[in-house]
Amino acid sequence: MRAALRRHGWSYLFVLPTFSLFVIFTLLPVVQAFVLSLQSARITGGDWVGLANFVTLAEDPVFRQALGNTVLYSALVVAAQLTLALVVASLIQPLGRQGQTFYRALFYLPLVNSAILVAMVWRWIFNPNPYGLANTVLGALGFDPLLWIGSSDQALAAVILSAVLTIPGGGVVLYSAAMGSLPRELYEAAEVEGAGPLTKWWYITVPLLKPTTLYLLVIYTILAFQVFERVYVMTNGGGPNNATITIVQLVYSTAFQFGRYGLASAMAVVLFLMAVGVAVVQFRSLRSDVEY
Amino acid sequence: MERDAGVRIDRRRFLQALAAVGVATACGPAAAPSATPSGSGTAVAKPVSIEWWRRNYTPGSQTAETVTSDGAVKGFRARNANYTITIQGGPFGPETDQKFDIAILQQKAGPDVFHTTGGDVLKYAAAGQLSEPPLSAAEKSDFNASALTATTYRGKVVAYPLWIVPWFEYINLDLFKERGVTPPKDGNWTYEEFLDAAKKLTFKRADGKQIYGFAHANDEFAFMLIDGGRLYDTAVKTWTFNSAEAVSGLERWVALAKEKVMPPDFLTLNPNDSQARFISGEIAILQRPSAMINVLNADAKWKYGTNWDIANFPKGKTAQTAWGGVGFIAVREQADADKKTAAHVFAKYLTGPDIGPDLKAMTPPIEYWLAPAARTSAAGIYGEYHPAKAKVAKMGSFTYVLPNVSTWSEIDQKYLRPARDAALEGKKTAKQALDEVAPTAQKLLDEANK
Repeated sequence: MRAALRRHGWSYLFVLPTFSLFVIFTLLPVVQAFVLSLQSARITGGDWVGLANFVTLAEDPVFRQALGNTVLYSALVVAAQLTLALVVASLIQPLGRQGQTFYRALFYLPLVNSAILVAMVWRWIFNPNPYGLANTVLGALGFDPLLWIGSSDQALAAVILSAVLTIPGGGVVLYSAAMGSLPRELYEAAEVEGAGPLTKWWYITVPLLKPTTLYLLVIYTILAFQVFERVYVMTNGGGPNNATITIVQLVYSTAFQFGRYGLASAMAVVLFLMAVGVAVVQFRSLRSDVEY
Repeated sequence: MERDAGVRIDRRRFLQALAAVGVATACGPAAAPSATPSGSGTAVAKPVSIEWWRRNYTPGSQTAETVTSDGAVKGFRARNANYTITIQGGPFGPETDQKFDIAILQQKAGPDVFHTTGGDVLKYAAAGQLSEPPLSAAEKSDFNASALTATTYRGKVVAYPLWIVPWFEYINLDLFKERGVTPPKDGNWTYEEFLDAAKKLTFKRADGKQIYGFAHANDEFAFMLIDGGRLYDTAVKTWTFNSAEAVSGLERWVALAKEKVMPPDFLTLNPNDSQARFISGEIAILQRPSAMINVLNADAKWKYGTNWDIANFPKGKTAQTAWGGVGFIAVREQADADKKTAAHVFAKYLTGPDIGPDLKAMTPPIEYWLAPAARTSAAGIYGEYHPAKAKVAKMGSFTYVLPNVSTWSEIDQKYLRPARDAALEGKKTAKQALDEVAPTAQKLLDEANK
């Protein structure tokens, strides 16, 4: 400790403001959530109940449904978004510098829109009435309209589709930037060996992008686990027969509508542990020692 | 020496007394000649400031809550000049609910008087944060009995019932005329007549526009009442919403879905969309509360009696019924007796017979009552605002007011609505859906009654 202080001296003082803010606004709330998850906390206080909240969650069919919906949504949306980002970034890579910049901006710009507005547009697209955009397209193609968000069988699919069909601008930009820094020699060597564009993409580009893929995978998974506003706006917070209910949606209603802060904190802890567990698996399976 | 000890005033006490006289003089009325001889015993009203928390109050806006609240304060101040009232707003929703909870339950501070609804009354009463209204027996008998029951906690009335908000059917007379359907006489119809009308009013025009006979905004369980179904027994101890009567009511609701007289998004239709689609002529009969009358009146093209009218809920196997909610005015318990007294005086004014005429006499006149008053002596004026409201004013007598259960929102949103959806989608029978909910609902009811 003393040696560290002597060696780095004043630098600790400069880190202190940021570290203090991190402790107050991030670390303490997380610790408090863990503590609350072990209490029957309501707005007026609560008693220590140990793991009772977690037992309640295990027995609650609505929580199990929310858990299943969250996992399904995350698996499909993350896989689709990563694939889409990689493919789109690869398609704009051969373009000139100006073309790349134009398309990166084009795909990134929608991200500055309010998530609520975007969800409202998707609500209109998947409106079960014949004038909903998706049903208008189906009608033009000669198909019968679907119920989309108006049916417990189709509502989750509509929500997932709305996320899948949104090009992940952030991923496109990151992949595109990473592709620009890949060593040209590897591609030249492959060309000498007679490799075609697809072979080069599959055997050189994709493996060398593993660090970026890992980063995006972890970030997108965490974001998908936290899906809220899309469900809240598109399906009035859970959809017909709780078809689209997710963990964060349930955390929100349990805490702020039902006033069960302890139970809601237990849900948040489960979500946290899920995110950590999945991230660890993702790190172990995708970590790479490749340097270039 | 003894005399000195009895009357001695040191310099500090003298200055304190002088300062007190100075403050009293400065705060008191201007030195005008008084008709009342001094020392006659007439008490000079003490100035008191209180805070009123009102959801959806936004200073300077034209929301109904803002206009009526500003009018209410003005009317009250004209009668009680010594009271100053500050209004604090906040949007409808969980964020504001939490603001109330934190202030009242945790900080034991915040509003002196406030609007509240359903489960909140019990929650605050259970925490000992509501001051019991000083109501005489005559005053108590002036309130609607079910509304007063809804504000009773452990045998004590803990808040002032403000109004009863009934839900009923708005009907588009143009569509009725177009399809040759006779509107219900005096607004009364049986379920069978209602279903028949809804079926005839569901059609596609030559231009391809689809019209639906009926819609609701997915926010109440009205149909489950019409055959006599009720959520709880009279003591609010037992969950009874899986009784044969409730099942029968849900089956009638399911029949509407089966007949496809409701738009395909009826399970996710929100209030604003449903109103917009009724106004656009896409829905012939819409189930909404009394507040929609003002929305329709705001549209100059829509005339009451010509283009639209109101009708009761369709009648089932039992007497005419309606679904409704109650609004309350509550006074927070606190140590400051002056503030508490002022808050009660103000709460009585907000729920009493004087406020309606006071606001109607203002320029421009303000409609204070957004729903029929919960007090007989205040009830008359609501019907004077508009002929449609005159009809609505009579609905209070058969409106089923949802009893206060602190866990109701959890029962409703987490379990009852999904079960209802499953029945309406045909995934479960009405009985199966309601029976599945019953044990959990009973558990949550027991928890609320602890």
